[in-house]
Amino acid sequence: MNSHRASRRDLLKAGISSVSAGLALMSMPSFVFPGQDAAEELVPFQNVPRATPNSLDWETLTEDEWLTPQDQVFSVQHYGSPKVDPSSFVLEVAGLIERPRKLSLADIKALPREDRLMTLECSGNGSSPGFSGAVYNSRWTGTPLAPLLKECGIKPGALEVVFFGVDRQKETLRKGTPRELTVEVPFGRSLSIEDAQRADLLLAYERNGQPMADRNGAPLRLIVPGWYGIANVKWLTRIEVRDRRYMGRFMGRDYVTIRGERQDGEVVFVESSVTRMNLKSAIARVTRHAAKDGKVPLKAYGAVWGDGTPIAKVQVKFDDGDWREAKLDDKHSEKYCWRFFSIDLGPVAPGKHTLVSRGVDAKGRVQPAAGDDEIALKKTYWEAYQQWPRTIQVEA
Amino acid sequence: MQRRRNPYSALCCAFLKLAVLTWVAVGRAADHADSLKKGAVEGTVSYQADPARPWRYARYYVKQPKTGELAEAVVALRAKPVAEAAREAQTIVIDQQNFQFTPETVIIRRGDSVKFTNADQATHNVQSSSEIAAFNVNMPGGGDHTVRFDKAGGVRQPVHIGCVFHSAMRAWIFVFDHPWYQMTAANGKFRLSDVPPGEYDLEMVHPAGELRSRKRVEIKPGETLRIDIRVSPDDKR
Repeated sequence: MNSHRASRRDLLKAGISSVSAGLALMSMPSFVFPGQDAAEELVPFQNVPRATPNSLDWETLTEDEWLTPQDQVFSVQHYGSPKVDPSSFVLEVAGLIERPRKLSLADIKALPREDRLMTLECSGNGSSPGFSGAVYNSRWTGTPLAPLLKECGIKPGALEVVFFGVDRQKETLRKGTPRELTVEVPFGRSLSIEDAQRADLLLAYERNGQPMADRNGAPLRLIVPGWYGIANVKWLTRIEVRDRRYMGRFMGRDYVTIRGERQDGEVVFVESSVTRMNLKSAIARVTRHAAKDGKVPLKAYGAVWGDGTPIAKVQVKFDDGDWREAKLDDKHSEKYCWRFFSIDLGPVAPGKHTLVSRGVDAKGRVQPAAGDDEIALKKTYWEAYQQWPRTIQVEA
Repeated sequence: MQRRRNPYSALCCAFLKLAVLTWVAVGRAADHADSLKKGAVEGTVSYQADPARPWRYARYYVKQPKTGELAEAVVALRAKPVAEAAREAQTIVIDQQNFQFTPETVIIRRGDSVKFTNADQATHNVQSSSEIAAFNVNMPGGGDHTVRFDKAGGVRQPVHIGCVFHSAMRAWIFVFDHPWYQMTAANGKFRLSDVPPGEYDLEMVHPAGELRSRKRVEIKPGETLRIDIRVSPDDKR
């Protein structure tokens, strides 16, 4: 693996761009996982749609791309995608605090600068085979939120901190009733006062060492490690400490998971706001070597992530076999980031096969299958953390 | 009971067959003479990789990286509309299978129809805001919807199809008002024949790769012009 990567890099460094060099490079597997060697060839998935730009291309996920390149970063917005002029941008800190503040982007950049490594996933990611690339890993750079809140002096009675974006839209409530009401509101999400004061929250202005893209929330975005994308408020412009629960659309109506829970043999439906990420893993790709004695040696590679709870292990099941433990990659092991894994599946007979992975965390939580209660009784599509079976066709 | 054959009608039938055969033979000879007055252009579309600017999705369209033959490339001449009254309108199927439009790219003639089907259990949507044809329909599993295309956009103005529920789903429909268009298979080959002599723009578009090429060509009577189209990341739209 390393020799291949070195040779590719050397060529790039040498600036060789002749057609023959280009063709030679194309014939090599250009996407390498930890533990993969140059002779391995991709076995494409049969049940995964073609990847498209601005979403993760699972089958090409590489060690080099542990931090996701911008062209594979998804973005979801609910009130349009505003373009904010950084020179006139203001962040306001207000509400139940002793010292309200207004900060320009320059003021924010003058505050202590820190990095956060974090895998961010849309809570709807995995809700359909066509929507499985809405996850990416980043190094966010900005200033921590906790010292700023401390400096502002939170007053007694504070219950929540609400984070508002620049983006606004008209919302209609109680539609079709005599009490129908339409009001324009800013996008907002809240955190409990304890969660908002966590040391690892960040007001970010850079991603992977580059200015943040407009569609990812420039000039300023809240980063909440371990929480689904929706909590990481983009185009952040107002932080407000309040003594009442904030129940905006994205806290109280959308991004609400409705799930049946078994209570004394009865299924009771419970509604909860989408918050922390769930334990999840996926096979990124399968590779093969040449057939030997009629059987094909296969390997599988993948990623596992969650809310920051340490990952205990990843297991892989091939067809109807037993769950077998995969090897976790030690090179990149960060609390809030995905961790890569690989497994040698051994020589298999040519034909159609199915394989699936599941994560197990240090608290003993096991990633469920689609048919397990916690997924099967979930009536909304957010928090789609079920196992993702992959189908392959192995040629002789 | 079997009907007795009338000798008079049998004779008529034989005459009729003879007349038809003669007409076909004369017609074929005329066609042959006509095709000698026309020309053709053929070749292979291939993709030249640039390691500094890798095409992430090349694996879907380039099966032989060493030689680079490009699949799903649309090749066409830029020509004036041709009316063919005898041509029967066709219906091409684009299925929604496993959250993907299949096929992703189709080429049709003005007046043809595309029948969208949904093999998935999930509800999909088929929509286009193109000037060529605008529509927006929801489609439950097993459903279908047929759209007739009465305007042509050629190579330059394909109809872009999407699904409002699943933003990653996409397809392109190229509508032509003449017969000189083709889409490459995995071998990258194309051949446009029976082309009236003259100068044309030979155009190639690969919608998923956003690749584009155009060449001025001269078609001569009775000759086949051989042109290989090689594109690289420089040939972006």
